[in-house]
Amino acid sequence: MQAVSFPTAHADLTRLIGGGRQWALIAACLAVAACLPYVVNSYVLGYATLVLITAVGAVGFNILVGWTGLVSLGYAGFFAVGAYAAAFLMTKWGWSVLLALPAAGVVAGLISLLVGIPSLRLKGLYLAITTLAFSVITNHLILLAKPITGGSAGLRVVRPTVFGIDMTSDRALYLICLVVLVMAILFASNIRRSHVGRALFAIRDYEVAARVLGVNVVAYKLLSFALSSAVIGIAGGLFGMHLRYLNVESFELILSIEAVSIVIVGGLGSIAGAILGSVFMVLLPEMARLTFAFLGGSLGGVFSSNAQEVKGVIFGLVIILFLRFAPSGLVGAFRRLGAAIRRWPLAY
Amino acid sequence: MQYFADLVVSGLAIGAIYGLIGMGYACIYKATGVVNFAQGEVMMLITYVTASLLTLTTWPFWMGLVLAPLVGIAVGIVVERIVIRPMIGRPSFAIVMVTIGLAVLMRSLIVLFWGSEPREFPGRGSEDVLQFMGIGLYPVQVLAFLIFLSAAAAAWAFLRYSRLGIAMRATALSEQIAMLMGVDVRRISGLSWAGAAALSGLAGVLFASAAYVGPDLFAVGLKAFPATILGGLDAVTGSAFGGLLIGVTENLVGGYVDSSLKEIAGFIVIIFILMLRPNGLFGDRDVERV
Repeated sequence: MQAVSFPTAHADLTRLIGGGRQWALIAACLAVAACLPYVVNSYVLGYATLVLITAVGAVGFNILVGWTGLVSLGYAGFFAVGAYAAAFLMTKWGWSVLLALPAAGVVAGLISLLVGIPSLRLKGLYLAITTLAFSVITNHLILLAKPITGGSAGLRVVRPTVFGIDMTSDRALYLICLVVLVMAILFASNIRRSHVGRALFAIRDYEVAARVLGVNVVAYKLLSFALSSAVIGIAGGLFGMHLRYLNVESFELILSIEAVSIVIVGGLGSIAGAILGSVFMVLLPEMARLTFAFLGGSLGGVFSSNAQEVKGVIFGLVIILFLRFAPSGLVGAFRRLGAAIRRWPLAY
Repeated sequence: MQYFADLVVSGLAIGAIYGLIGMGYACIYKATGVVNFAQGEVMMLITYVTASLLTLTTWPFWMGLVLAPLVGIAVGIVVERIVIRPMIGRPSFAIVMVTIGLAVLMRSLIVLFWGSEPREFPGRGSEDVLQFMGIGLYPVQVLAFLIFLSAAAAAWAFLRYSRLGIAMRATALSEQIAMLMGVDVRRISGLSWAGAAALSGLAGVLFASAAYVGPDLFAVGLKAFPATILGGLDAVTGSAFGGLLIGVTENLVGGYVDSSLKEIAGFIVIIFILMLRPNGLFGDRDVERV
């Protein structure tokens, strides 16, 4: 049996989906995901929806962090922009969700240019600081712009009706999120296999070399930032529908940290990694809570009284430990495991 | 005019604190090429530890200013040794991510350990207002400014004349060449973390004694980012000066435009500054040799 597969032709690099086994895996995942809402209770369904929304955002975030190699701490900002844009368009102007979600993406993408144009001409590190600044500024402006955002009182979000079908149930929302996630994955994979993706990889691997080879570094960095922010904005729009109520407190800095931890845990630069990471990081605090509640004792109380801090400890530890011991993330670990199984018992 | 002078003077006092933290950012960036996103949290930890020590021993306030740099050096060395040193040699992208993780981890652990209730800094400076040329000042504000000036002068002299300071600048220039010349690069990394933590410890104690010790203390660290961007990430004394500018700007915006914009004035300033002067006011132009 073949031990390792290397791309040997141009077609291997531009293929959307790998071999037959990958097709089977994707079909199986989709089938399970589509059947899930008819099997589980509403508590699990709520978490599953949150996983899907987070995965949409993570797939978008990965375009910037994983493929272009830029650190951003502005995830929460673009997520908030998308959430408020979609909620405003649907609630106040009565737009259909089919228009409001793309519009949320466009708004987030355009706003990202405001931050991107001054900071992307510089070294990558500056982007982390300016996006952090952007996130703080956004939260303040949301509080100030009362007519649009409701200020500190927040904004109620109505769930939409699509093609005359009522989409207000949790199950319907889950299915919408699933469809959006599939579209986001297709979008990202098509970027990856095109010249745009290759330009981004080149910038990540060696910026000076990329420029020498004729890649317009600033333009591609901006493009990647805008595309990534647009997808994150769409995820934000879904998040608003999921919560049914928007408040600035949902978009604190911890959300940006969560996004960073997701792409690291999953494996930087991999779409499958972004999804695995979302599943892992959304469920981990909940799993930890259930475990400690099961074990009983005083630790269980800490989870209910200091949920935010416990999340912080988990995210922080996960980021540090994964970067130190498993920099290629869960996807890398699975790959190594798969390779070990394939080569067994004669590795090398 | 009186109002303006008041705003400028109290802006200089808060700016001195931003400047101290900004020097810390620049110190680590210069030696290791990494922006330390956990600087505010390091400061918070030192402030909490110092406040607890003062409460336990009932020492006077000025002992806090002696303790803070010492606690800072200890915290800086320990954090660098445990979290950063194993990552040396990895891309700076990964190390920056580690400091982001470290930031949220430290912040959460501090709140879990000390609780989320803000408390008063023990034995804080007297509340008497000093009159200086018609401008009212708290003693701690004057103190902050004096400490800031001496720290900036000391940092400048250290980097300019001392053996270690020169080794640090050499490491910043090129890690490999510095290593070949016999500089212990790992020690430089530890040293820069200790130095940055000592500076931010002073800043933390000064800020807390004027305000309070609370779970949002780390935000002061975030607000010092504009200072170091303005002065140039690789310019230690430039960052100190940037702190003063940001402090004054913030106060003027808060006083004349809108008090709610005060919090974000610094951040808006850096986005514009980066458009005009990409390397800050005093930073070096970045030249890469292929």
